[in-house]
Amino acid sequence: MKTFHRIVRFLVNLFLLAFAALTLTPMVWLLAATLKSPDDLFSYTFFAPRLSTYNFRDLFSTVPFHRYMINSIFVASTMVIVQLFFSSLAGFALAKYDFKGKKPIMILMLSTMMLPSQVLMAPLYELIYRMGLVDSYAGLVVPGAVSVFGIFLFRQSILQVPDELLHAARIDGCSEFRIYWDIVMPVSRPMIGAFCLISFMGTWNSFLWPQIILHKTERFTLPIALNQLVGLYQQQYGTLMAGTLLSVLPVIILFMLLQKEFIAGLTAGAVKG
Amino acid sequence: MATRPTDIPMAPTQAVRTSRWFVLQYKMAPYLFVSPFLILFAIFGAYPIVKSLILAFYATNGPKSAVFVGVQNFIFLFSDRDFHKAVWNTAVFAFWSVFLQLPLSLGLALLLNSRWVRGREILRLAFFSPNLLGQVFVGVLFSVLFIPQYGLVNRFLHFIAGVPLDTKWLANPNLVMPALVLTSLWMYVGFNMIYFLAALQAVDKDLYEAATVDGANAWHQFWAVTLPGIKPVAVFVLVMSTIGSFQLFELPWIMLNNSAGPDQAGLTIVMYLYQTGFVTGDLGYASTVGWTLALGVLMISLFQMRVTGAWKGGD
Amino acid sequence: MYHASGVVTMRFPYGPAALSMLVLSILSAVWLAFNPIPPKKATLVMWTFAKTHYDAYKQAIPSFEAKHPGVKVDLQLVSWQAVTSRLQAAFLSDLDVPDLVEVEISAAGSFFRGPLKDVGFRDLTDRIKQSGLYDRMVQARFAPYTSRGRIFGLPHDVHPVMIAYRRDIFDQLGIDVRKIQTWDDFIAVGRKVTIPGKRYMLELPDSESSRFEPLLYQRGGGLFDPQGNCIMDNEIAVQTMLFYVPLVAGPNRIASDLGGGQIFTRAVEDGYFLCMITPDWRSKIIEVDVPKMRGKMALMPLPAVYPGGRRTSTWGGTMIGITKHCKYPDLAWELALHLYLNKDDLAQRFRDTNILPPAKDAWDHPAYDEPRPYWSNQPLGRLYAQLAPDVPFQYTSPFIGTAKGKLSEALVACVQYYKQNGDKGFEEFVRRRLKQSADEVRRLMRRNPY
Repeated sequence: MKTFHRIVRFLVNLFLLAFAALTLTPMVWLLAATLKSPDDLFSYTFFAPRLSTYNFRDLFSTVPFHRYMINSIFVASTMVIVQLFFSSLAGFALAKYDFKGKKPIMILMLSTMMLPSQVLMAPLYELIYRMGLVDSYAGLVVPGAVSVFGIFLFRQSILQVPDELLHAARIDGCSEFRIYWDIVMPVSRPMIGAFCLISFMGTWNSFLWPQIILHKTERFTLPIALNQLVGLYQQQYGTLMAGTLLSVLPVIILFMLLQKEFIAGLTAGAVKG
Repeated sequence: MATRPTDIPMAPTQAVRTSRWFVLQYKMAPYLFVSPFLILFAIFGAYPIVKSLILAFYATNGPKSAVFVGVQNFIFLFSDRDFHKAVWNTAVFAFWSVFLQLPLSLGLALLLNSRWVRGREILRLAFFSPNLLGQVFVGVLFSVLFIPQYGLVNRFLHFIAGVPLDTKWLANPNLVMPALVLTSLWMYVGFNMIYFLAALQAVDKDLYEAATVDGANAWHQFWAVTLPGIKPVAVFVLVMSTIGSFQLFELPWIMLNNSAGPDQAGLTIVMYLYQTGFVTGDLGYASTVGWTLALGVLMISLFQMRVTGAWKGGD
Repeated sequence: MYHASGVVTMRFPYGPAALSMLVLSILSAVWLAFNPIPPKKATLVMWTFAKTHYDAYKQAIPSFEAKHPGVKVDLQLVSWQAVTSRLQAAFLSDLDVPDLVEVEISAAGSFFRGPLKDVGFRDLTDRIKQSGLYDRMVQARFAPYTSRGRIFGLPHDVHPVMIAYRRDIFDQLGIDVRKIQTWDDFIAVGRKVTIPGKRYMLELPDSESSRFEPLLYQRGGGLFDPQGNCIMDNEIAVQTMLFYVPLVAGPNRIASDLGGGQIFTRAVEDGYFLCMITPDWRSKIIEVDVPKMRGKMALMPLPAVYPGGRRTSTWGGTMIGITKHCKYPDLAWELALHLYLNKDDLAQRFRDTNILPPAKDAWDHPAYDEPRPYWSNQPLGRLYAQLAPDVPFQYTSPFIGTAKGKLSEALVACVQYYKQNGDKGFEEFVRRRLKQSADEVRRLMRRNPY
């Protein structure tokens, strides 16, 4: 039996390792492609003997790529903060209070998650236009300022906070907001970490709405900027890959830092029902 | 000036500050806290929902000129071959996403969960990482990987299976869908695996012990303990995957260079919506397509939940 | 992170992750505040989608600004897919509408969708006729930018089509180009020299209709007639399909295609295709993308459909339009004329891009007779100019995008059928399939309340 187990263990690990390598291959290729000069790009499958920074130099000299990056950073981080505040507040309310209209509100929230957002883009665009927010950062952030998914995440997490903490705080004369601010939020930091990553990722990678809303190229976020790059410089694969790499790096880095919280947060909603 | 202290849930104790303000802010708090959601929803949710429902009965050339056409949009939709193509493509994609992806995710999760695995954290990271890139960037990357002759996919397939190097993927109507499915597999198998893994780890170990005592082998245990144990998560993943598949747009749009591809092989429902509304300019017909999609997704999700025996209470 | 900012982290309730988000937000906001988008105080804003045009115009604009002191022209490069959607969006939202826009021929029709009064471009018919441009230019080139009898754009080009071929391999194989007068001649030669998998006579795709269309126009066919009716299933179209499909599929095929960019380069270098359908703009692309073939390539006119028939066609095109939002239409008109008709610029531009301007009197310039070493010393300009007056008409419609898509679909279906069944029942199938596509377009047109 023991040898059988040993063989199984070896095979399982081998398979997983191979599969992991397969999964990572496109990303390794991406990295390698950014460091190859245009002549070498297709001559070597992965890395070339001579490294070249040509693609990055070409990228930054062709378009103001740094500007697109900062646009993305600004929109994504601002969105996170805004969503964090509003969603956690609402999640707190739904978790720790009973009030009239709670059930209907929750059902409402649930149904909005089912609706494909693309249905609303046409009238939403018209609305944003009437508000004078077309081609502005506000037009990007404001419509998405509350994340229903976030509300549910926080509700799930805050349910776990022991009620005694709140009771004790109230005895001390804490206002409800202070309870939220001083007690519930610090305790929920893991979920906040998860939410930060989820929200950041969602905004960072979003394409359709920014494409519709933003007009001036200087305001473009990375996804639409890269899409435009593909349209204009189709054959300059190296440059495109450089742009792609720089666009995905921030999220990857963020993920490395917030791995544990992210996975815990993501699955909390599903596993506990 | 106090109301009864027992109105507010506090620790039972002696002297209690129960000023009117204190009670008031307690009562108002939940409403205040959900008000941002309600206000924003009213403006950016409810209004567009109603407006787009109305728009579905118009043909427009931008917001400037709208002509009321009644149910004409819907009648046309019914026999619109492009729409049929979009529905077919989307359905095929959803089918493969569910029946190929989910078993793979589950299988991976099972393997990763087994006691023989070393470096579980690292492997988990490796499998999940593709999901971090986002559909747009994955689209750009894979549009280059699928290039005939020099792209990585053809080189790899040629190396291990002798597939001809000049196989065209994104320019060949028959291979566009396989390319899309493969790419989305890459992106989402790891993502769904995370859910399954968490679910597997949450299954009560005692149940397994009890099963072993009863003489059940690994196979029986899987069916009797594991599957029922992860069922809620599995249903969740199933429904979410389906809904997500039906909303597919960015990946094919980017991979096929802002088009529906050869012979419209990559046309999805949302892509059709986008083209009709924002390229042709008929926002009315686009709304018709959108609502039909919404209804379809809703029905399919309800059907799925009914069939798998899980129903959403007022959670 | 947890240790270093321990004190700060404790105070900020949301924790280190959120704190860093806040910091990022503030930092980037500050950067953006200090690097605002410079307000472009331009008198005229112009969009173009082709890098070659952009480079050429950038050189031409200073002389225009010199002639009009105080006038600033802001030229922007926008990718061609984006031109359509962004221009539509701009028209719809009244925001950031440029004054002049270059629009590609296949996209132009989509702007003619609504009632005439709602078309975002100015009606240029009177200007064109009164200034005599209508006679100076190849008239066929106004058709794609005309709707309901009104002209909305000034054509940028003629784009006559020739065939580029590997002259050195032709010499090697003993092919006499002068003997290839008709398509039948061409196909006969093609059958002899094609080695499946290694060498094909002609580059033709089997999954999209970009080369099919020029061949359709050569025969006098098209997608729409001058009244805007869909004619993609008429007899000419059927004949074109019956001609085209056996070239790319089946046992006697002489054509293949691989794609663009580096793949194309390798293919031409390897002699994978001997001939390519080459409008004037493509000749420059070939020169740039396949530099190693310098001196080995040459051009020949398109084989005729029947002896004495038309020996050219057209592929692609650009127009320049003036939007209704433009506050200085006269100035914009002058800019358009300056960019499109300034003789001094045009000759040099031709040297840079190989693109023939549509004004017939411009072709007198010696630049067009210069021998081109890349093309075995042929006078590229003269060759194209000789064919230019013969370029066929192309009529447009708001549904041109849809029609092109449907044509591609029909092509794919016909290729599939032919691969499976050969000639058996092929003609019937082609008729049916083209009619089906055309009917779909017609249905769409009937639905249009405008």
